[in-house]
Amino acid sequence: MDAINVENLTKRYGNNEVLKEVDLTIEEGEFYALMGPNGSGKTTLASIMASVRSATSGEIRIYGRKPESAREFIGYIPQENFSSPILTGRENLMYFAGMLGYSKSEAERIVNELLSKIGLSEDADKRVSHYSGGMRKRLEVATALFPGTKILILDEPTTGLDPSARRKFLGLIREVKGEKTTILLITHIGTDAELASRVGLIDKGEIIAEDEPERLKETSGLKNVINIETTIKSEKVANALSDFSEEQKVLETDLGYRVYCKDVGKVTPKIVRSLDAIGCKTTKIETVKPSLEDVFFKLTEKAVGG
Amino acid sequence: MSLLGQVSATLNKTIKEFLRQKTVLFWTIAWPIIWVLIGSFSFTGNVPDEMIPYTRGSITISMMSFALMTAGMANLPGNIAEDRERGLLSKLMSMPVRPWRDSIGRILALLAFSSLAAVLVILVGFVCGARFSCTMTGVLESIGFLLLTSFASAGLGMLIGTFIKHVHGAIMTGVGISVVTASISGVMAPYASLPELLQNFARIYPISSVNSSITYLLAGEKYAGYIPLTTSQTTLTTIISILLFAAGLIAYSRFCWRKE
Repeated sequence: MDAINVENLTKRYGNNEVLKEVDLTIEEGEFYALMGPNGSGKTTLASIMASVRSATSGEIRIYGRKPESAREFIGYIPQENFSSPILTGRENLMYFAGMLGYSKSEAERIVNELLSKIGLSEDADKRVSHYSGGMRKRLEVATALFPGTKILILDEPTTGLDPSARRKFLGLIREVKGEKTTILLITHIGTDAELASRVGLIDKGEIIAEDEPERLKETSGLKNVINIETTIKSEKVANALSDFSEEQKVLETDLGYRVYCKDVGKVTPKIVRSLDAIGCKTTKIETVKPSLEDVFFKLTEKAVGG
Repeated sequence: MSLLGQVSATLNKTIKEFLRQKTVLFWTIAWPIIWVLIGSFSFTGNVPDEMIPYTRGSITISMMSFALMTAGMANLPGNIAEDRERGLLSKLMSMPVRPWRDSIGRILALLAFSSLAAVLVILVGFVCGARFSCTMTGVLESIGFLLLTSFASAGLGMLIGTFIKHVHGAIMTGVGISVVTASISGVMAPYASLPELLQNFARIYPISSVNSSITYLLAGEKYAGYIPLTTSQTTLTTIISILLFAAGLIAYSRFCWRKE
């Protein structure tokens, strides 16, 4: 059964076409990740599904209904930290329970269950301003886990979290996901997207590829990736590395570069020597498996995080 | 979906936020109280002894009006702008929430908080020696007029909160409008000392008109500066207050909750 069905969806702001005739189907119970860089249209698409924005043309159906008529099924977590920092975690959840129409006693019972589910029972009566980024995000996810939620739409939920908090958070999402709960994760982080059963890559308002994460990597044709961490990053360094990379494409990362080549064994020492020659020290060099960021780069020549 | 659930959830959240924010407490409670203290002891030097308690009474009434003005015009838009800025309104738009229920919750919270501020200002006024000459009917009529002040301020506050997107911008605009209009309309300065143009403004601006009506009822005509309880004046004040409130409510429900 289709949980979300998007047909020919277009969104324009003036002359700027943010989404271009997007088609997308997500089945009930599926964990789908939509991955793309800033400005690719992924947040716009999610917010139209959550009935926060409207489409210029095309159609979205949530369990066969228009998004405005399906709001009771949708748990939408926007990118911003929307919980009130001067209320406690419990008070925030009680507020959302009230907005969903629960009576006080029902709300108290459900809120206690949710707090225990997200591991915040002990900190429930602390003000949210005293929470860490990860705790606050978990609290906000709990606002989408009230009974009746069938679709969780998470917009960049791990942005700003350190790697450990990110792993914990995504672990929680997997734990709390019921069999029939459909998850749409909006992200620009490949390792987050890899947790999904299916990934859609979006660029300039179009879904350019869509498949299971491993199949996306296989079909990209990428075999070997050399991940290099360097002391400096500059155009000169990137140019030096491009001589060793397939189609002269080099992906810039936070700490260095990624180079794509067939014969890793031969190329690696040459890379180190070449960088040395231009005065750039290599702090780490390793052969790694291709990531979804590499697949995106292969398809668009753009860094997904940039 | 329970109507009371959404209204009372918003009421609870908003009142807690008002009570826990230092800027809100300062501008709505501490600032008017400071002026009651200063006014009661500094501005009564040339006043005959028998008039001092009533002069203090009229200062207390003015500061009570000012408290209600800042509550509506600064705290309410600050709260709306903050909820929008941190994405809460987007979150609520994705839920089965009706904007008017959220509005009612916010306004009830404002009324509750304004009442608390008014009571505290009056108590401090009494402690400072303020006295009033009034009947029970006068007190009840004054409460009705205070409600009009709250509605007019809430209307202006919702307009500010709707059109000024940033929290500090919304708060400072509200505080600025409160301070300036209170100064030029006879809330903070005696009506009789205003030039004719501003006296006309004071009669049209519902908050100063209400302030004069309450002063007239609780302290007497001498302190009000004119007789504001005429049918035409009261009707004008009521209509403008309701229009401001309606304009604010419509703007908030339409524009803050509008899909892009």
